[in-house]
Amino acid sequence: MRRILLLLPLCLSPIAAQHSDADLKNPFQSAVDRTHGGAFFQSQCASCHGIDGKGGASGPNLASGTFRHASNDEGLFRLITKGVPGTSMPGFSMNGREIWQIVAYIRSLSANRSSANSTGNPQAGLQVFESKGCLNCHWLNGAGAARGLDLSAIGSRLNAADLQVALNDPSSEVAPEYWTWQATTKVGTTLRGQRLNEDTFSLQILDRAGRLRSVVKAELQSQSLDHASPMPSFRETLSDAQRVDLIAYLTTLQGAAR
Amino acid sequence: MKGLLLFVLFGAVIRAQDANWTTYHGNPASHHHSSLTQITPANAANLELKWSFQAQSLEKFEVTPLIVDGVMYITEAPNTVIALDAATGREFWIYEHKNPDVTYPCCGKVNRGLAIHGNTLFMGTLDGKLLAIDAVTGQLRWQKMVVDFKQGYALTHAPLIIKDKVLIGTAGGELGIRGFLAAYNVADGKEIWKFKTIPEPGEPGNETWGGDSWKHGGGPIWLTGSYDPVLNLTYWGVGNPGPDWNAKVRPGDNLYTSSVIALDADSGKLKWHFQFTPHDEWDWDAVQTPVLVDRLFRGRMRPLMLWANRNGFFYVLDRKTGEFLQGTPFVKLDWATGLDDKGRPMRVPGKVPSPEGTVIFPGVQGGTNWFAPSYSPKTDLFYLNVWDDYSGIFFSWNQEFELGKWYSGGGIKAAVQSTRRDRLARRDPQSGYGAVRALNPSTGAKVWEYKMADVSDGGIVTTASNVLFSGNREGHFFALDATSGKLLWNVYLGGQTAASPVTYLVNGKQRVTIAVGHTLYTFGLRN
Repeated sequence: MRRILLLLPLCLSPIAAQHSDADLKNPFQSAVDRTHGGAFFQSQCASCHGIDGKGGASGPNLASGTFRHASNDEGLFRLITKGVPGTSMPGFSMNGREIWQIVAYIRSLSANRSSANSTGNPQAGLQVFESKGCLNCHWLNGAGAARGLDLSAIGSRLNAADLQVALNDPSSEVAPEYWTWQATTKVGTTLRGQRLNEDTFSLQILDRAGRLRSVVKAELQSQSLDHASPMPSFRETLSDAQRVDLIAYLTTLQGAAR
Repeated sequence: MKGLLLFVLFGAVIRAQDANWTTYHGNPASHHHSSLTQITPANAANLELKWSFQAQSLEKFEVTPLIVDGVMYITEAPNTVIALDAATGREFWIYEHKNPDVTYPCCGKVNRGLAIHGNTLFMGTLDGKLLAIDAVTGQLRWQKMVVDFKQGYALTHAPLIIKDKVLIGTAGGELGIRGFLAAYNVADGKEIWKFKTIPEPGEPGNETWGGDSWKHGGGPIWLTGSYDPVLNLTYWGVGNPGPDWNAKVRPGDNLYTSSVIALDADSGKLKWHFQFTPHDEWDWDAVQTPVLVDRLFRGRMRPLMLWANRNGFFYVLDRKTGEFLQGTPFVKLDWATGLDDKGRPMRVPGKVPSPEGTVIFPGVQGGTNWFAPSYSPKTDLFYLNVWDDYSGIFFSWNQEFELGKWYSGGGIKAAVQSTRRDRLARRDPQSGYGAVRALNPSTGAKVWEYKMADVSDGGIVTTASNVLFSGNREGHFFALDATSGKLLWNVYLGGQTAASPVTYLVNGKQRVTIAVGHTLYTFGLRN
């Protein structure tokens, strides 16, 4: 009896969620709506989130297709209406149509990126992905390593051209959190890893052995950051066909990254 | 004999004030300084947690508490007033003001604190009201509609009491408002005077606005001002013009935005003004604390005003006349080569927002901002939290005004987040840092600094025993030696400081209190 009672809510909850999603589908998603939404976005949102929606001085990136405070269009609508407590994101007093149009525009920012897909074979690309050991560094849908970028939704963030640049020339654009940190302690030990966090007194590191470590700055003789990506270039180590297939596979990765 | 009695009585008043913390800035001159001396550089390492109070609100906790005879009064964002036992942190009462779902604060549903007159507390609300609350019962005495909030206004700063008046101004510089400061009778909320920060046609200063641009010119007031009882002048910083970054639609100096105004406290009439950033194109609100100091300056005893401005310059003004005396950069800046002999910036061509984006030092949050500096008569130094080596990319675009909507005419990109803490690994360490700095008011020169990895939105309090308290975004709250900047004590509290600390006596013991994250912490010496 107890088991049945426990199972019942588990069965009902997805149904309820689907019903809810069906009811709250964005009714304003036409090209005209997106255009209007873009105009509203520029006047009301771009000051904080950037003219390209990729983030500004006080608002996060909205062009990645994933959102910290919303999981669907309904959530985005509610977020724009109510704001986000504890942040500088206020609730906006625009009418419902305007807000839905902004949601449509925000959605288009990531749709545009995933639309320019590769013409390769995703299945063959998966084999390349596995054979090259990408998960030795990268994280994908709950497995792998966290040294590199989470690839679970990489297809919604980078288009085929971006992915080609990332594979051929991974150091062309590296976010600071993926720079390689290295230091020498006052007793002569060399430390190396990824800088996860820092304050006035300490650094939090993922070291080369995959351990989380905290390092006291006062114990360091010197430290530096290498801006180059630790990822090797695949310009010479993949054939053109392998690269196109791998990119085709990566563009299929649209899952929910953190 | 009579003189001696007066002296003794004056001394008693001073002692009572120092045991308490009765105004947002600690005293009318806004020193954020206490004459208390129990906590010293020698014993600060023995500080320990005495109590903490957990806020229920998830909004930013920006309050500076008031302490009156063992009772602490705080606001919890957005507009809840709470009376606590300053010895234990236990609640006496809670008064909760309900705001509508949609209000119009630019940068978070925040409140910075209260004012008190006798047994009445005063608070401004996001929906444009001034509330008078009984300090004993926590019941509402009266409320006054200050402004129609639906036009983009919000009241976020702690009011200021002058005699029988309570003064409050309005935020809304990003929503095309016209700012003002108003004085109300403490007994019944009746309006006594109102000073509009954007002059209308026919008023002096309106000629500094091209066309009709004055109508949505901004000029908010969102930080408590100061008061000189001898001159009977009250001083307030005025915020940015609107739209923030598309300045071509508002040609002229745009008075009285990004300025300090000196008003007669009885009439609200303008005595003088000084504009730090004429024709502000960067959103560098002059919403910092007017610090009033009487000291020697170039061989003369003068009534001074010390002002570290968001635009990166540290100013010394004569607060009787508004005369510019000195201005020196206190952080890296590249938008001006200096100030002329009247204090007007000598601007660098091209260092303005543009459609393609322009890199400018300092960034939009400026070299410092609203968080409190401190002046110590003991050291004769001015202390502040700075953001240095910090830039932003400033964009501008055309935008029409629409009532109740964002009216900024541009945007900003910057590696350092404007208002929120972020993991420091997400940005280049070269993109800016924070520091507590001590400046010599005579020269503007740096005397010492305590450098931090991240920036701070925290204020500063100093004591007569030469201890300085402050906090930062990293989550640290700390004590420095005010003479040297040496770290005396540090505790990691794990949240962002976006408030100013206070110090006071309760049951004869010195305490220091700070809001960090969503918690109010109180520390004292180990017994």
